[in-house]
Amino acid sequence: MTLSFIPILVVDLVGSVLMIVLSFLCLQFVHKLKAREPENLIWTYLWWVCIGLAGFSLSRSAGHILKQILILGGNAGTWRAISPYSGAVNTMMFVLVGSITLFFERVWVIHREILTDKSAIQTTRDELIYMNQNLEDLVAERTEKLVRSEHKYRRIFELSKDMIMVAGKDGRILDINPFGILLLGGGKEGDLTKRAMPSFFLRESDWERLIKTIQREGAVRSAEIDLKKADGTTIRSLVTGSLDKGPSESEDTVHFLIKDIESHHQMEQQMAQADKLASIGEFSAGIAHEINNPLGIILGYTQLMIREETKVSERYGDLETIEKHVRNCKTIVEDLLNFARSSRPQKKEVGVHEMIDDVVSFIQQHSRTGNITLEKDYDPVLPALVLDEKKIRQVFMNLIMNARHAVGDDGDIRLSTKFDAQSDRVLIRVADTGYGIEPKNLPRIFDPFFTTKPTGEGTGLGLSVSYGIIKSHGGEIEVDSKMGQGSVFTVILPVITDGEE
Amino acid sequence: MARTDFSGMGPEKNTTMKSFRLLSITAIILWGVLWDTGTAIATQSHGEPEGLVIHQIAHLFFMFSLGTLVYWLRARRLTTESGWRYIQYGAMLLIIWNLDAFSVHTLGEFIDILEVERHGSWDISIRAAEPYKLLEVVYYLIKLDHLFSVPAMLLLYLGLKRLAGEGEGEESNGSGV
Repeated sequence: MTLSFIPILVVDLVGSVLMIVLSFLCLQFVHKLKAREPENLIWTYLWWVCIGLAGFSLSRSAGHILKQILILGGNAGTWRAISPYSGAVNTMMFVLVGSITLFFERVWVIHREILTDKSAIQTTRDELIYMNQNLEDLVAERTEKLVRSEHKYRRIFELSKDMIMVAGKDGRILDINPFGILLLGGGKEGDLTKRAMPSFFLRESDWERLIKTIQREGAVRSAEIDLKKADGTTIRSLVTGSLDKGPSESEDTVHFLIKDIESHHQMEQQMAQADKLASIGEFSAGIAHEINNPLGIILGYTQLMIREETKVSERYGDLETIEKHVRNCKTIVEDLLNFARSSRPQKKEVGVHEMIDDVVSFIQQHSRTGNITLEKDYDPVLPALVLDEKKIRQVFMNLIMNARHAVGDDGDIRLSTKFDAQSDRVLIRVADTGYGIEPKNLPRIFDPFFTTKPTGEGTGLGLSVSYGIIKSHGGEIEVDSKMGQGSVFTVILPVITDGEE
Repeated sequence: MARTDFSGMGPEKNTTMKSFRLLSITAIILWGVLWDTGTAIATQSHGEPEGLVIHQIAHLFFMFSLGTLVYWLRARRLTTESGWRYIQYGAMLLIIWNLDAFSVHTLGEFIDILEVERHGSWDISIRAAEPYKLLEVVYYLIKLDHLFSVPAMLLLYLGLKRLAGEGEGEESNGSGV
């Protein structure tokens, strides 16, 4: 078929011109962008793409325009001569543009990496500028924070009511807080840091076991350890320790937190003792009630029978023996009832000092005191107490007689009183310089019928009766004894007025 | 390092096979060089169709490059930005233009189906034998290849303008340009 060539000619010529114009517009535009951001790799990439496209458009379009002009001008031969060169250049340009285009992905990845690095450098630069401009303030702020932090932890260390200690793995004390020094009774920190921690353990095997556990597991929690203070006394403690790895293995330290549980432990023992005595008291009261009535009947009938007998008769003597032993039994039963606090005390206002003086006077008159020195240290502001005078008198009789027995023929007995206004209680102490109480006997001294005296010299009811009487007055009785140094019995009574009673 | 022989042959047989291959290759080269002593022996000649073949291969390579560009633009999700999207459309049109030009060269010069001849300055005669008559119209239409290349270049220009606009206020925006 034969068709008009004009549409092809027009599209070819106009298209060729437009291709050149548009490709150079692209080139010019990217050139501007590149000039604006010379470091932008994508603009550089597009710049090369546009160069390739401009070369391609120019070579192809110029060839096409020239071809049409030469053919229309009747110079087809000239075009045939130029054509291979135009085509070759055009082919080269395809390859060039294609090659550049192929690199897009790599260029993009590098561009992203550059942007990331640039952003990081920019951030670092901004931070450096900020730090440079505010270095002094930053240092001051950081120093203040450090000081505050140091102060806070120093206060915790110094004011802690538990012992905080840093020790080497070999047990050397490196640092110890003031309470720790107080607890161990070491005097000064310097004195303690010269000593090793194992020397404060009552049993050195405890230290070895503890440090092995810390090294194996990194820490130990609430281990119950008996510590030996500088003065030789022992305290029960709860030890928590953890290993602190230093910058190098040789600088490992152990941080200890040691809690004094001696008073807690004593309180537990006292509660157990009180429970035990209460149980014994209930048991004793039950028995005493059952025995008391038959004893009363026996005593009554015995007395009736004595009246009917002449004093010289053998029967009279037998009945008197029965009466005497029944009375002894009744006394024991009454003591048991006093211990069990079964009878309500008959209270009235009593001057404590006068009462004690009466008891002392009675003992001095009726008992041999030999070379015993009696000291009195009375608190002049001691208030009068509402007490069952007869029973309290019995308590002090027991305590002073026990003290006298403990010191033997030569020693000191010290009687002192003190009013503790803060707790509104009166403390009355009976201290002696006797042989003391063996530690194994201490938990049993208030048990009924417990005595260390030879048979026949004591019933073992004195302290248990005293305990019951003091308890029935809402008070406490405490004992502190050291073998060879003596004992101190402290009676603590609440100050109760008539109105309160 | 111990090597396992998967060929099922012993070392001696392997050596024989290598020698046989070497001899075969040498024989083929000698035959290729000496068969027609009329042509150049040292350098290969570049006859007339070679330029056309290279040109067609260049079109295929250009298409492949543009296809790669479109693939990476989409893989990197850059086409969510209007600038790169326009560039993607421009690349697609250039692929179509390459196909068009490739077809024109193939129909007009490479295969012997069409007979194309200028009649004077304003007419063109396109003749095809049966059953390829339809190719006469197709050839006439695909000769208008600038209808693809010019819009492609325009889209490229618009894409660049958009990219510049997107990157103007913010040096490093979502597209990362």
